[in-house]
Amino acid sequence: MGKKIGKHIAIYGKGGIGKSTTTSNISAALAEAGYKVVQIGCDPKSDSTNTLRGNNYLPTVLDSLREGNKIHLDDISVKGFGGVLCIESGGPVPGVGCAGRGINAAVNVLQELRLFEEFKPDYVLYDVLGDVVCGGFAVPIRDGITDRAYVVSSSDFMALYAANNLFKAINKYAPTGGAKLGGVIANSMKPGYHREIVDDFVTKTGTSIAGYVNRSLDVQQSELYGKTVIEAKPDSAQADIYRNLAKYIAENENLVVPNPLGAAELRDWARSWGDRIYDIENGVVGVAEAI
Amino acid sequence: MSGVIKNPRNGCALHGALQTVQEIRGVVPIIHANAGCGVINYLSALSTGEGRGLTGGYNAPGTTVQERHVIFGGASRLREQIKNTIKIVNGDLYVILNSCESAMVGDDVEAMTREIVEQGEPVVNTLVAGFNGGAHYGYEHVLADILRSVYEVKKNERKTDETLVNIFGIIPWKDPFWKGNLDEISKILKAVGLRSNVFFGDNGGVEDLIKAQNAKLSIVFGRWGELPASVLETKFGIPKLLFPTLPADYKDEKELIEKISELVSVNKEKAEQFLAKEKKYEENYRARILTDLLDYDIGKDAAIVGDEETVIRVAKLLKSTFGTEIRSVVLTDVLKHDEDHLADYTDDIEGIVSKVYISSDQKEIEEILKASKTEFIIGSSFEKAFAEKRGNAALDISFPIYDRTILNKTTIGTVGEIGLIEDIVYAVKKYEWNRKNNLVAYIRNY
Ligand SMILES: Nc1ncnc2c1ncn2[C@@H]1O[C@H](COP(=O)(O)OP(=O)(O)OP(=O)(O)O)[C@@H](O)[C@H]1O
Ligand code: SF4
Ligand SMILES: [Mg+2]
Repeated sequence: MGKKIGKHIAIYGKGGIGKSTTTSNISAALAEAGYKVVQIGCDPKSDSTNTLRGNNYLPTVLDSLREGNKIHLDDISVKGFGGVLCIESGGPVPGVGCAGRGINAAVNVLQELRLFEEFKPDYVLYDVLGDVVCGGFAVPIRDGITDRAYVVSSSDFMALYAANNLFKAINKYAPTGGAKLGGVIANSMKPGYHREIVDDFVTKTGTSIAGYVNRSLDVQQSELYGKTVIEAKPDSAQADIYRNLAKYIAENENLVVPNPLGAAELRDWARSWGDRIYDIENGVVGVAEAI
Repeated sequence: MSGVIKNPRNGCALHGALQTVQEIRGVVPIIHANAGCGVINYLSALSTGEGRGLTGGYNAPGTTVQERHVIFGGASRLREQIKNTIKIVNGDLYVILNSCESAMVGDDVEAMTREIVEQGEPVVNTLVAGFNGGAHYGYEHVLADILRSVYEVKKNERKTDETLVNIFGIIPWKDPFWKGNLDEISKILKAVGLRSNVFFGDNGGVEDLIKAQNAKLSIVFGRWGELPASVLETKFGIPKLLFPTLPADYKDEKELIEKISELVSVNKEKAEQFLAKEKKYEENYRARILTDLLDYDIGKDAAIVGDEETVIRVAKLLKSTFGTEIRSVVLTDVLKHDEDHLADYTDDIEGIVSKVYISSDQKEIEEILKASKTEFIIGSSFEKAFAEKRGNAALDISFPIYDRTILNKTTIGTVGEIGLIEDIVYAVKKYEWNRKNNLVAYIRNY
């Protein structure tokens, strides 16, 4: 691959944690700030860019690959809010075929179509499905496709567990030109101990927080309108949260190779928090004291 | 552990399975793989003059899977291929051979096979992914899988036939003399009133697969036929008899017949007459080469490269005939620690050989041969070329053999034994003769 056009950013995180919502709001915020943005959903569900394009139908890259016809960029992309170019990789129907290879093939198709040379984006965001289950899903952070990854996580153990797995993948591929970590996007933050848990996790793994995103009704409401918060509720506090996050991600050059926790370490760490949360919830101690 | 393996001779499980079914008359293979898997098989087998015909060579039906089948699943491509194959190629049994690719993508071929069988088509399915093993593994597994399911597909009343014996372990192509050896085994069994189910070649076919359930006994030569024999044992209670090798000489023939007669009733009188004849045959010819044995220092030492069964058999023969010291042997079929087989012939080899190696890497094999410091090398065309380059005597009996055609020559039983002795003496005499001529030429020119 020649010189990269634009900054290429991969967003990972456990299934259902808020990757697509967050990525779409970041894209919308960057577009609003005047940048040219591409968002590529790397997920067979192909719902990554829904809120950017009002839930309109968009054929996926793999749909057109399946047909076997010559593919044109126009057939598989559509401009959404603020001119964000929306693309969905697509995949096989659940239970058959190999989705990992599908992601790989879709990315190849986009390169063959000279997407980046044609569109000349400032930012390209890859919204990658769930956990890094096999080599196929690690494609966006391998082979120099992106040089930075962010992981969306709540304070739930399983979300942090998935983040830790991504750290392992980054740790493995970074030495041979794979992406590094830009930071953790702490999503669905609520009052109480949530921030502290994620803070503690990033400290332990030598990473940092890219931004805290509150759990908010605005998000759910906008989603129901088929829009991002930036579009549906531009004046809300939540919109500003996404704008700040987008600014951070746009400017951040502090990329690290994380130190993932070992299995036993992670378990012990989680257990120690289990005890503390119990105390906090039962009013034995306040948050500050508990840490 | 990674490194370059030079000339790995045997191919993968898919290739072994393909070669196996291509030699069963009436079976049509359907390869579920990318085109390369089948083509490599064809190219690697070019040497032997096999693999032509309706479903051989480039004609083997297959799905020629492409990237989109990997991504979206290859099941519908396979269904299409099965239907078309059945339409175009007449067969009594269609065998789907699943490759690495099919295994990794996870196509539900089993369900599809059931669906097609329900429509009345004779189809069986087997997974012979190359990452599971080599060609010998493929031979065993395709036969085992066929025998597991063929009786549901081709319904046939089971009726034990007191004189029928299944023959396993002689692998088409992998034993370059498979055809002649099958014929020879059949001849021996016939002489004592038994009939052999050989599966392969002109005397075999799909009927043999169906008849296999009626056999009174399965005989396994070497380790590689154990699995299909075990399937028949579990399914139908057909006992199996294991031998480390095919019969190398009169003594082995006698032992074979004795062991068989413990399980099946053989015609005693016929057996005695036959063995007496075999004994005379062997004695006669062995006596005739005595002069050669004295004139030449034949087979004072040797190294053998090949499949386990061949190596043990030929080593035994060399030892008993020429008193050869077998410096080292290289087994090319047993590539990993083997927990799948009851049979363990390590003792048989260690009793007759100084050093046993396991390798399919030509470079490593050549180093072993060099280190063995022997003057006589027995192996495949690869080893023969190496030996000739070094000025050693050489004989090719292991796969692959490039420079001669073998149609129905045998290397087993007394006939095969005498034939092998001929070949061995010829190889050594030729070597001596060339050496003498070179010397004379050298002196004349001097
Ligand atoms: N900060 C938030 N506040 C409230 N709701 C949120 C927030 N973030 C995400 N959600 C909601 O959570 C649900 C899942 O979010 P989203 O689809 O973005 O997750 P995802 O990680 O992309 O999931 P998947 O792995 O299935 O692709 C959505 O209904 C979304 O509206
Ligand atoms: S090892 Fe696998 S991929 Fe290679 S030829 Fe054999 S079946 Fe095909
Ligand atoms: Mg999503």
